[in-house]
Order: sequence, then structure tokens, then C-alpha cells
Amino acid sequence: MINKSKIWTIIQHEYLLKVKSKGFIIGTFLAPIGIVALIAFSASMMIMFKDTTERKLAIIDDTNMIGTMLAEVDTTKYYLSDETSKALKDKIIKQEIDGFVHIPSNIIEKGEVEVFSEGGGGIGFVSSLENNLSKIVRRERMKVMNADEEMIRLVESGVEVTTQKVTEEGTQHDNTQGMAYIGYILGFIIYFLVFLYGGLVSRAVVEEKANRIIEVIASSAKPFEIMLGKVVGIGMVGLSQIAVWIVLTSILVLSLGSIIGAFIEIDPNTLANGMSGQMAMQQAQDAKVAEIMSNVPQIDIGLIIGFIFFFITGYFIYASLFAAVGSAVDNEQDAGQLQMPLTIPIMIPIFMIQPIMENPDSTIASVASLFPFFTPILMIVRLASTQVPAWEIILAVLLQILTFVAALWVAGRIYRIGILMTGKKPKLTDLIKWIKM
Amino acid sequence: MNILELKNVVKYFGDYKATNNVSFSIKEGTVFGLLGPNGAGKSTIIRQITNIYMPDEGEITLFGEKVGPEHQNRMGYLPEERGLYKKVKVIDQLIYFAQLKGVTKSKAKEKAMQWLIKLNASDWADKKIEELSKGMQQKIQFISTILHDPEFLILDEPFSGFDPINVEILKSIVLDMKKLGKTIILSTHVMNQAEQLCDEIVLINKGEVILDGTIRDAKKRFGRDHLKLEFEGDDTWLDQIQNIEFINRTKQNAEIKLLNGEEQAQEILKTAIENVKIYKFNLVEPDLHEIFIRMVGGDKTYDELNAEHQEEQK
Repeated sequence: MINKSKIWTIIQHEYLLKVKSKGFIIGTFLAPIGIVALIAFSASMMIMFKDTTERKLAIIDDTNMIGTMLAEVDTTKYYLSDETSKALKDKIIKQEIDGFVHIPSNIIEKGEVEVFSEGGGGIGFVSSLENNLSKIVRRERMKVMNADEEMIRLVESGVEVTTQKVTEEGTQHDNTQGMAYIGYILGFIIYFLVFLYGGLVSRAVVEEKANRIIEVIASSAKPFEIMLGKVVGIGMVGLSQIAVWIVLTSILVLSLGSIIGAFIEIDPNTLANGMSGQMAMQQAQDAKVAEIMSNVPQIDIGLIIGFIFFFITGYFIYASLFAAVGSAVDNEQDAGQLQMPLTIPIMIPIFMIQPIMENPDSTIASVASLFPFFTPILMIVRLASTQVPAWEIILAVLLQILTFVAALWVAGRIYRIGILMTGKKPKLTDLIKWIKM
Repeated sequence: MNILELKNVVKYFGDYKATNNVSFSIKEGTVFGLLGPNGAGKSTIIRQITNIYMPDEGEITLFGEKVGPEHQNRMGYLPEERGLYKKVKVIDQLIYFAQLKGVTKSKAKEKAMQWLIKLNASDWADKKIEELSKGMQQKIQFISTILHDPEFLILDEPFSGFDPINVEILKSIVLDMKKLGKTIILSTHVMNQAEQLCDEIVLINKGEVILDGTIRDAKKRFGRDHLKLEFEGDDTWLDQIQNIEFINRTKQNAEIKLLNGEEQAQEILKTAIENVKIYKFNLVEPDLHEIFIRMVGGDKTYDELNAEHQEEQK
């Protein structure tokens, strides 16, 4: 029934129309440069602050071995303590120490330690502790284990640090984990792109209607074909933009190392550290670059697939509904009010990202992330920050596909009537009536 | 052979019958006038023919089949309200519309250039639509309607917005298309254009057909009751004459509608000879313009209609 060649013609037209525009070219090529410049700036700030900030961490050692080794790694940073954790928490609040590490007796097997701090310790501090501890624990594990295969597996499993934030009210989760931030960023990018491209679809529909182009097109193709072509065409612009961003950002990040290297070379702080000579400087530089790189958490392929999938479903669900709203109005001013029922469900998840990052496994988090209108933004946050059960992922994917089909159908019904309606400004109830017509 | 047939077509908008039991047919290779005042329901009928709307009742057959999306490629439609993408180049715009009608890209490009050259517009090919004047845009729109070489054309007010020279060019294109065997629906309010171009007409008012057939037939129905006079002298003699209505009146010219039939003309001629010097005395059929006004205006006089028209303009 649907004429594929017509849809394809419309897709190509919409795609080329947007891709050739100045706005797209500027947005696509300048944005990554801006982002990388921002990363570079904050990274260099991080290094500068790091050089001057020393954290004093107490160690409670249940193993009577690992803690001693850790203290030996950097005596300016770590010291062994025989106080109780309650006493140390008081010290943190009084700001006598920055925090303490609790090394449990089963660290060799479980590979988990807890850090208690006043909060906001920064990713760098956690990862340097993780590095230090990992090395020690790895060494100990190799000693304990003899079987080669098992040994390798254990060596690879590393050490996971769960940080605990100590406040007057007690101990709570501290979200210094890099992956949670990655989730936040990915969720926010989906929010931003769905809004941006959904808006573009709405505007393109209004433009066609306001300029009376629709009459000619409607005499050449079915309304559903026109709408689908438009939504897909603009969606492909979005995917192209994401692809260019990923490629450009990776290239820029890779070359970032040398940029920062050059920046450090002329940094007087490094010289003031007492080191001298080309070798020392080169060493310091390499170490810092390595540290920055180690601070960037590894994004696995599953997360990238999830990101692209949820961008596509989120985009299709909202963009087709945006097209329906656009079809109902005669100009963009009128569109705003009718878009409210769409903009609100896109915005609500933004306020939920923070709590979900902190408690990604809570019931509320899983229910909210399974609600189809929130899923694209919230599920990616959970996928990044925790191990989401497989059944939840499958359910989310199924619900997304169902919602996506339903949204296209509803939007198609509204669009079919809307594009030819002119004159009086329709209300939401009119749109609902059109679905049934 | 009839290329298009409408049988008892009804289209509702809510409770309102926008198309009320409309029937007419169009012969292949003719120019057909779809006439009527603003809001008569012409566009609604056109939208049903172009398969934008589906009729609620009745049937529309095109090329001998029930009209459907598969016929859209064989139609060319120039809507009354024109629309082009402002930021798109002329050539790309033309190619896109032709592609939507199933023409291949290369073929569309070739055809577009041919038409641009024919209409002295080849310099505009790489310009954006927004850089063109209104008249130029109209030309591009016209080309886009015929680029895919449709067998059946629907032109809604095709000449509005053109200067007289371009109107003549477009008229000759329409007549050329007719010679090539195309069938054309011409929808317009400008009755002298319809009179020049159309073989048959249908007059629509309030969603209904109120007149149907050849222009010849329509005129016959009204008889020769239309008198055109040119004279020299005092024009007050005209005031003595009873049972007439003035369609036009100046110091030396008068166009009169006879309310008592043809015979009245002889009496008027006598009175005229007694009073003024006569240059022209022409008893004619009403023109399409006059028929339009009489049919649509019902029993209202020309003056009343004119007054109403002026009122609307305000």
C-alpha cells in the first residue's frame, strides 16, 4: 500500500535540505571542537588543582597487611589508623582528615573497599586510590593463586571502589563514579537531540503548511508517506550529526594528549616541583596524560548500541507526535501551546536523572525507566550506571517498539487531517477527535 | 470518451455539505471550466479529484477507474494558493516535485531545463526561490505542474499574479497542451479567460452544480437580452426607458439588460434615434461574466451585487 519510492524521494529531499543548511554545518563541525576545548580546559584545570591538593586518608585495615602496603605507596597521602570508623567519621566532619579507607578482610577475594569522605572527592582521587590498591591486591592474589587461568581472571577483575559520602545525617552513596556521569551525559544528549530534531520536524511541517506546499505534495503522495519521509529524513540528519560528532570528538580527544602535553611543558608548576631536566619533565608529562586517559571510563559497545537504539525510538516517538502537532497549526507561534503535552514528558526525565544515577537499582528507577515516554533518556542512564536486569532491557525494548508504532499511527491520523485544516486554531480535543475520524 | 466522471459526489465537513450531489463529466482532450464564486466548493471538488480527500458519497472515475493514489502521477495540479520551498534552488525544487510524480531524477533535470529555457528562465536554475520575484515564482510553480507531462491537468486560477504578457504565454501553453491531447480543468473567477479557453463549463455555487454544459448552451438559455450602445449626445434619454437594468453606463456608452425580452430592443432603438447620434447598437447574448453574476446572485440586480462586492472588499 505504501509507495516506497515516494517515501525515499521525500527522505532524500528532507535530508539534503537540512544537511546543506548553514546551521547544520556549523552545528556539526563546530560543536565537537567546542566540546573538546571544554574537556581540554577542564582537564588542564584538574591537573593544576591536583598538583596543589593533597588528601590525607586514614586506613582501617582488617587484613593487617594490605593497609601497611598501601601506606608505604605514598606516606604523604595515606596513614594507618587504629581508630574506629565512628571516630574517623567524626574527624572527617571536623575536617581533621579528608577521609578514610576501610579495607575488609576479604579484599583479596572480593576486591571491594569503601572510602568515606566529606563528599565530592573527585574522580581523580578515587582512581588513584583504585590504582594503588589494585596493584597491591593483584600482587597478593598472584601470590595466593597458583592455577594460571584462574589467576589471570582474578587479575583482570581488578578492584571496585564504592565511595561513601559522610554527612551529618549519616552515610550515603557518593556519585563520583565515572560511568554514572557518562550515563548522565548520554541521557542528556538524547534529551537534547530529541528536542532539537523533534522541533525541526515540527517546524518543517508548519513551513510546508504555511507556504502551501503541502497541497501540491498531498496531490502526489499519501499523507502518511509524507510524514514518514519527513520524520525519517530529519532523523537521518540527526544520526549523521551524531556520527560526525563521534568521529570528530575521537580524533580531537586522541590529539588532545599532545595538546595537553604541550600545555604542561610550559607549566611553571611542574618546574617548581623540584624536578629538572628533560627526562623528568617528559616523565611527568607522560604520567599526567596517562592519568587523564585512565580517568576517561571505557564505554562498551553495548552502551553505544543502547544509546543509538534509544535515540532512534525516542526520536521517532516524539518526532512523529511533533509532526502531528505541527500539522494542526498554521504558524509556529500557535505550535508552542499544543506542544506542551509533548515537551513535559521529555523534560520530566531530566529531573529524574540525578536520583536515578544515585539509586539506579531502586524500584522507582526501574519503573520510571520502563515508562515508554521516559525510557529513551532514563534507561540509558541506568544502562551506564548499573547492571540492568536482562528482562528489564527486553521489556523496555519491546515497549519502545510498541509505543513507536502507536505514535506513528496516532500521528499519521492527526497529520492526515491537520495538514489541510486552516483558519481556526485547533485545541487538543480537536486533535483527539481527528484520530477517531 | 470521458476522462473524468463525477457521479452524485457528496463531501461533508461536519454537518455541512461542502460538495452537494455534484455530477459532471469531462471529455478527453478538452478544456473544462470549473467556475464559481469564492467559497463555492471548487477547491473541495478539486481535492477529491486529486485524491487528497475521499468523497463521502458518490463516485469519481478517472481514466475509467475509481480515482486513487495510483492516478496521482498522471495528474498535474496547480493549486490556487501557490507554495514553493523558499530556501531551495529552482532546479532542485522542480526535480523534487517531478520525482514525487514518479519521474527519474535525470529525466526530471533534463525536462526542467527544457521548460526553463522555453519560458526564458534558464538563468534562474541555480537561484533560490526566495531570490525570485513573485511572478518568477509563479512561473516556476507552473513548470512544476506540467514537468512530469501529465495527461490530466488541474489549474486553479492559473493566471493570477501574472502580467498580461505572461498571461498570454501561459494561455498559449494551455492551448498547446490541449492540442497534444491533454485534458485540462481550469478553475477561475475571471470569466473572459474561461470564455476564451473552455469548451465546456460547470458553474458551482454553495457546493451544488447550478449550470452545466457548453458555453454556447449556457448563453442560449439566457437569450439575446443584452444590449450594447455607443452614441453621441445627451445621455439623459436613457433615464426615460422602463424595464431595463444598467450593467454599465458612461456618457457615451451603455450596456443594458432587457427585462422584457428581445422585442424591447426595437423600442429602445427608436427612442435613441430621436435623441442622439448612434454609433453602435449591438444586441448580444450575455457574456459568461454576466451569466455568472445572474446565476450566483439569484434575483439580485447587478448594482446590488456590485455593492455587496464593494462591501466585502472593505
